[in-house]
Amino acid sequence: MEKIKITICTGTACYVLGGAALLELEDFLPDELKFKVEVVGSACLGMCKNALPDSKPPFVKVDNEVIHSATVQKIISYISQR
Amino acid sequence: MNEASLFFEVDYYQINKSGMSVAGDVFLSTRSDDGSIVTVLADGLGSGIKANVLATLTAKMASVFVLNSMDIRKSAEIIIDTLPVCSERKIGYSTFTVARIEPDGNVHIIEYDNPGFIFLSTSGAKKINCERIDIKSSPVKKNFINYYTLRLERGDRLVFFSDGVTQAGMGCASTPLGWGSFNTCGYIENLVKTDPGIGAGKLSRSVVSQALAHDIYKAHDDITCEVICCREPRKLLLVTGPSMHPEKDREMSERIRDFKGCRIICGGTTSQIVSRELEMDVEVDISKISKDIPPKSIIKGIDLVTEGILTLCRIAELLESGKFRNSDEANAATEAIAIMMNNDIIYFLVGTRINEAHQDPSMPREIEIRRNIIKKIIYNLENKYLKKTELQFI
Ligand code: FES
Repeated sequence: MEKIKITICTGTACYVLGGAALLELEDFLPDELKFKVEVVGSACLGMCKNALPDSKPPFVKVDNEVIHSATVQKIISYISQR
Repeated sequence: MNEASLFFEVDYYQINKSGMSVAGDVFLSTRSDDGSIVTVLADGLGSGIKANVLATLTAKMASVFVLNSMDIRKSAEIIIDTLPVCSERKIGYSTFTVARIEPDGNVHIIEYDNPGFIFLSTSGAKKINCERIDIKSSPVKKNFINYYTLRLERGDRLVFFSDGVTQAGMGCASTPLGWGSFNTCGYIENLVKTDPGIGAGKLSRSVVSQALAHDIYKAHDDITCEVICCREPRKLLLVTGPSMHPEKDREMSERIRDFKGCRIICGGTTSQIVSRELEMDVEVDISKISKDIPPKSIIKGIDLVTEGILTLCRIAELLESGKFRNSDEANAATEAIAIMMNNDIIYFLVGTRINEAHQDPSMPREIEIRRNIIKKIIYNLENKYLKKTELQFI
């Protein structure tokens, strides 16, 4: 099965607005998800510069879907629902 | 900058006496206007705060005298005459070694009651004759100073240490009288033989670690070692920030590609530009993460690729406080500092384009911030760590 690719933005804006904590995502993944995902870092995804009030850093991409204001919980529930 | 000129790399390492929060050994280094370097290693009587104050006083005084006076012998006399003296024991409150290294390699050293320094040429340790200067007027028992002159050539090293090194392990079965100058010298010669390119930082740390091992990992005294290496200057290029005009992206990237020496890129946008222009992949390395500093990235052939502003701020802070020496902190900023310490001439190429990546209406300020941080880094590199730097905006 193809793995779900989670891209965490490590650009400055995302990093200071909570991205730092997201890098520990792998430690929090429930066992059933651990082997289904691949976590990678990325330079600025370019989304922070047009960020709207309801779409704020940190940004994370799950395959091609963007999650804004990402938290570990938000990412996990997003992938579990897929 | 005269490329052929000699470069002197100065660094030191120190461990406090076990249980003490400050050291009674004090190391100072400064560069004077004529380009001479003056270093002082002072060892205050006793240990802890009191010793630290005494040694600091002595070191500061000695470095100011030697910086400003032409005749180092004369300043030695003044120092001895002025030094506070322990009224009971009639000994100076601090021992010291002062070295003045002139740009052409001529060195003057005065040594007052510290263990003898070691002069290492490429063929091993060499003895240097000393001249004894008596200071009759002084009330201290030991009222003379050793004065040495020598000339440093490329590949030569000077090693200074406090008695915490030579007396390490005293009373232990294997080293009843301490490690001793002779054995210390042998150890250093060996280190240099096995690693001929060893820099001042690594050499001083190795000596201190070895002394600590003799003390069975509980320092009985402050242990300090200072090393001066005369070498072909090592060069580092640090690039940060996108260039003002996108047309210059190519030029900037090529300068990185063609630079002979170490290379650091600080900044996500900058590294993306370089990766685009030079067609090299950039990958964020999230295998090691730190709480405060974004992870580094990897571009093949570049020594270090980091995030920009947060990392630069941390570098500036650490250089200012000097706390990177004895800390476990490990992140992109400490890696950058390790590379900086290992190099002698550091070129900064600073882009001045407003970074779109952080859109903020007050963004022109960001350039100011970057410039100020770089200025702070440069100031410390030059004045605290005696590096040479060159700054260019693009
Ligand atoms: S820093 Fe994350 S999108 Fe720009």
